[in-house]
Amino acid sequence: MVADLIESVAKIVFIFSINLGFFAPILGWVERKQSAVMQDRIGANRANIGKFTIIGLFHPIADAVKVLTKEDFVPAGANKFFHTLAPFICLVPAIATFSVIPFGGQYELFGHHVNLVIADLDVGILFVFALTSLATFGVVLAGWSSRSNWSLLGGLRASAQMLSYEVAMGLAIIGIIMVFGTLKLSEIGAMQENFLHWGIFIQPLGFILFFTCAVAENKRVPFDVPEAESELVAGYFTEYSGLKFVMFWMSEFLEIVTISGILTTLFLGAWHIPFVTDAMLLSFFQFAGPNGATILAMLVNIATFFAKVIFFIWLQMTIRWTLPRFRYDQVMRLCWKMILPLSLINISITGLVLLLWIK
Amino acid sequence: MTQFDGKGSQVTVGVPAGRLKPKRVRRNLDLTLWEKLYVFEIIRGMYVTTKHFALNMLGFVLPPRGKKRSVFTVYYPDEKVVLPPAYRGRPVLVMRPDGTERCVACGLCETACPGHAISIVGAERENGERYPLSYVLDMTRCVYCGFCEEVCPKEAIVMSSEYQGLAETDRSRMRYSKEQLLRSEESVKGRIEYIRRIYSKCNY
Repeated sequence: MVADLIESVAKIVFIFSINLGFFAPILGWVERKQSAVMQDRIGANRANIGKFTIIGLFHPIADAVKVLTKEDFVPAGANKFFHTLAPFICLVPAIATFSVIPFGGQYELFGHHVNLVIADLDVGILFVFALTSLATFGVVLAGWSSRSNWSLLGGLRASAQMLSYEVAMGLAIIGIIMVFGTLKLSEIGAMQENFLHWGIFIQPLGFILFFTCAVAENKRVPFDVPEAESELVAGYFTEYSGLKFVMFWMSEFLEIVTISGILTTLFLGAWHIPFVTDAMLLSFFQFAGPNGATILAMLVNIATFFAKVIFFIWLQMTIRWTLPRFRYDQVMRLCWKMILPLSLINISITGLVLLLWIK
Repeated sequence: MTQFDGKGSQVTVGVPAGRLKPKRVRRNLDLTLWEKLYVFEIIRGMYVTTKHFALNMLGFVLPPRGKKRSVFTVYYPDEKVVLPPAYRGRPVLVMRPDGTERCVACGLCETACPGHAISIVGAERENGERYPLSYVLDMTRCVYCGFCEEVCPKEAIVMSSEYQGLAETDRSRMRYSKEQLLRSEESVKGRIEYIRRIYSKCNY
C-alpha cells in the first residue's frame, strides 16, 4: 500500500518535473536556437551571468522573469471570467495528457510491481483524445472572450480546424489499434518489443496521417492558421499578456511533448531499443544483482523513451521551420478530402489483411 | 557583351551569349501527382533544412576554420570586422610625423562638399606655410561621399575605416574640430595607398 503510494508520487513528480521543469522552459529556447542553426544564424546567446552565456540557456530564465513582472492586461469589454478561464482550460489538458503515456515497461523491484505509467487506463488512447478535444474549448473561449476581431477570427479558425482534424486523427489511429487489438497504451508499447513489430513498419500510412493530424491539432506551422502572425497578429491569444500568455505558450510546448510521447508509444517502439529485448537488457546488467539490474534496465528504458521523444520534438521543430503556412481552405481540403479518405482506406486495408492473412 | 580594352582589341566580358538563353519555366500551376502527395516534397524540403542544421551543428562543434566557418554572423561588440580600405568611414585629417597637419587650407574640400559639412579658416605660419586655423567637420551633414578626399591635392583628408561613434545623442557633439579629426599617417596608410591606386586611373 505504502509502496504503491510512493511509486505513484514518484512517477507523478518525475513526469511533472520533466515536463514543466525541463521541456516547457527549454523548448522556447530550443525553438529559437534550432531555427537559427537551420537558417545559418547564431540565435539567442546574449543573456548572461557575468561572462557566462552557456549557448543562451539563460534566456528561458530571463523570459520567465520578464513574464512574471508584466502587467496582466484584460481588454475593456472582455468577459473577464472566461478570459481568465481560457488559458487554464488550454493548459490543464496539456499537462494531464501525459499521465496515460507509458515512459517505461513493467518491472519487479524488491518484490513490488512497478508500472512506469501514472494512470494505466484501459482506454488510454481515448483518454488522450478526450483531453485534446478539451483544449479546443480553451482556444475558442479565448478567441471569443477577448472582444477583439483578431482573436475572434483566430478562435473561429481554430474551432473549425481542430474539430475537423480530431475526426481525421481518430480515424488515422484506428489501424494501429486494430493491429494491436488494445487501447491500453502500456500494452501497445509492450507489444513492440520486436523491432519489426514497431508501429511505423506495420502502419506507415497511419503514421504519416496521424503525425500530420497531430501537428494540425497542435496548431503549429504549417497548420498555424488560428494564430497566423502575418494575418491575425497572434490569433486567439492576441489580447493576452503576462502569465496567461505564457500558459498558452506552455500548453503549446507541452502538447508537442505529448504528441511526441504518443507517437513514440504507438509507432516508434515506445521504450524499446531496436533488436534488444527486455530479457537481453536484464541479462546484460546481470552484474548489478537482480534489483540493480532491474533499476539499470528501467533507467535505460526511460532514457530510450525520452530520446525518442526528443527526436520527435526535433522533427516537429524542423517541420515548423521548413514549411510555409497552408491557406485556410487548403487546411480544410487536406483534412476532409485527403486525410479522411486515406485513413478510411488504411482502415479497410488493415481490416482485410487482418481478416484474410493473419487469421 | 563586348568591350574594348586599352589596346584596341575586343574582349568578351560577362556571361557568353549562348548561355543567356532563358530557362524553360513550367507555367502550368497544376501539381503533378507526386507533388500532390505532399509527403515526398516535404521530405525533400526537410532534407535541405536538415543538411544546413547538421552542417552548422558540426561547424559549432569543430574549431573554426577561417573563412570556412559555418555561420558568418559577427558578434559585434565582442568581435569586429576588419574593413577593406575601400570602405568610406569617418573623414579624418592626416597628420605629419611632426604633429602638424598636411592640410594647407586651400578650401577645395569646402567647395566640393555637397552637404556643406566642412568649414575652414586658414592662416599662415612664420615660415610662410598655410595651415587651417580651424577645421570644422559637421558630421550631421556629411554624406560620406568622399569628394573631399578626391579633390584634396595634399592627401590631407581621407575617408578612414572608422565606423564606431558616428552617431551621437547630441548634434553639437557631432561637429568635429581639427584636434578631434587628426590621425597619424600610419593609421590611414591603407586608405592613402588605395586612393593613389584608384584616382591615378581616373583621367580628369
